[in-house]
Amino acid sequence: MGDLDPTEERAVEEHLEGCTSCREEAEALRLAHERLVEFAAASEAPPPHLKDRAVASLPRPAPRRTVPPWAAVAAAVFLVALGLAYGPSLLGSQEVVAATLEPTGRAPGAGGEVEIVRGAENAEVRLEAWGLPACEREDYYELWLVEGEERVSAGTFSVGRSGEVEVVLNAPRFADSYPQVGITSETDTDPRPGDAKMLGGELRGS
Amino acid sequence: MAGVEDEILVRRVAAGDGRALGGLYDRYAGLIYGAGTRYLGDRGQAEDLVQDVFLSVWRNAGRFDPSRASFSTWIYRITRNRATDLIRRRKARVRTVGTDLPPEPEDPDPSGSLSRGFDVAAALTRLSPTHREVLVLAYFEGLSQREISTRTDTPLGTVKSRTTAALRALREAMSPELDGW
Repeated sequence: MGDLDPTEERAVEEHLEGCTSCREEAEALRLAHERLVEFAAASEAPPPHLKDRAVASLPRPAPRRTVPPWAAVAAAVFLVALGLAYGPSLLGSQEVVAATLEPTGRAPGAGGEVEIVRGAENAEVRLEAWGLPACEREDYYELWLVEGEERVSAGTFSVGRSGEVEVVLNAPRFADSYPQVGITSETDTDPRPGDAKMLGGELRGS
Repeated sequence: MAGVEDEILVRRVAAGDGRALGGLYDRYAGLIYGAGTRYLGDRGQAEDLVQDVFLSVWRNAGRFDPSRASFSTWIYRITRNRATDLIRRRKARVRTVGTDLPPEPEDPDPSGSLSRGFDVAAALTRLSPTHREVLVLAYFEGLSQREISTRTDTPLGTVKSRTTAALRALREAMSPELDGW
């Protein structure tokens, strides 16, 4: 990358001549360097308006219909009949992911369960939590879908003196694709997650 | 969204998530636009190429199968096919108006540099944020190691060792052999 002075460069070259492992390492680094140079040269920032044209203005995908409408109605009648006959276990086979929420040091006695049920348009996030400090006047809690550095809010809620809450929130349909959930305590109107993490858990299929 | 794998984003696109498509756009649009200006020779057509590619990703995300190819390979193929279509369409128009121009290459990636670019773009997404940052500052913003040290408020020695580690990680994240066509 041109950051060695000539003396350093000569010392490195002399070492590489006699050291196979360092030579292989240098070769790997050189290849990565050359590919990056090539990639940077091949890329060109598109005009800012293009993102709106190429991404934001795309039509929403139409819901897929694989059977004719009359068949869908007949199937629905059949399913309702089955449901009546065999109870909710047959009709309750929606995709569900769930997480057990573990406390952080801010609320050591807290805990909870989250269940995300994917619907046709949105996902339903069912939360039950306990042991959370009661919210003061301006405080609230926020539930986040978490992946690496990414946080997507699944909604906000308050907790009273009981420290318990049972609430159903709505999230985008793809909410069940996140690997983790977390709850933060919030005190402002900043849409970003606050630092006060209260509960967190890993989502798993059920 | 920087640390989220392409394959997860495309799954969200298939579920109708426009933000995830925006994340993929941020990663690949520069490369597609650059290829468009180079091979189509026209900024308007390069914009059409970017738009065509992302429309195709939006429409076909549900058919993407990660067990058959990585997302970067998939979007590279879409880009190559769309660019070839645009080159052919332009040639047809040129023939129609009877202009006598020298023959143009029909292959939008004759040297394979576009294919390698997609591979590097995908590999960058798999690096840690600190490794990605040091490489982006060095190669895309053109900063020296000393300037990166100042910009990130990090000792120069740390910047140097981090850059070496980032290059090593990038090499490991790149495909061992690039797909041939």
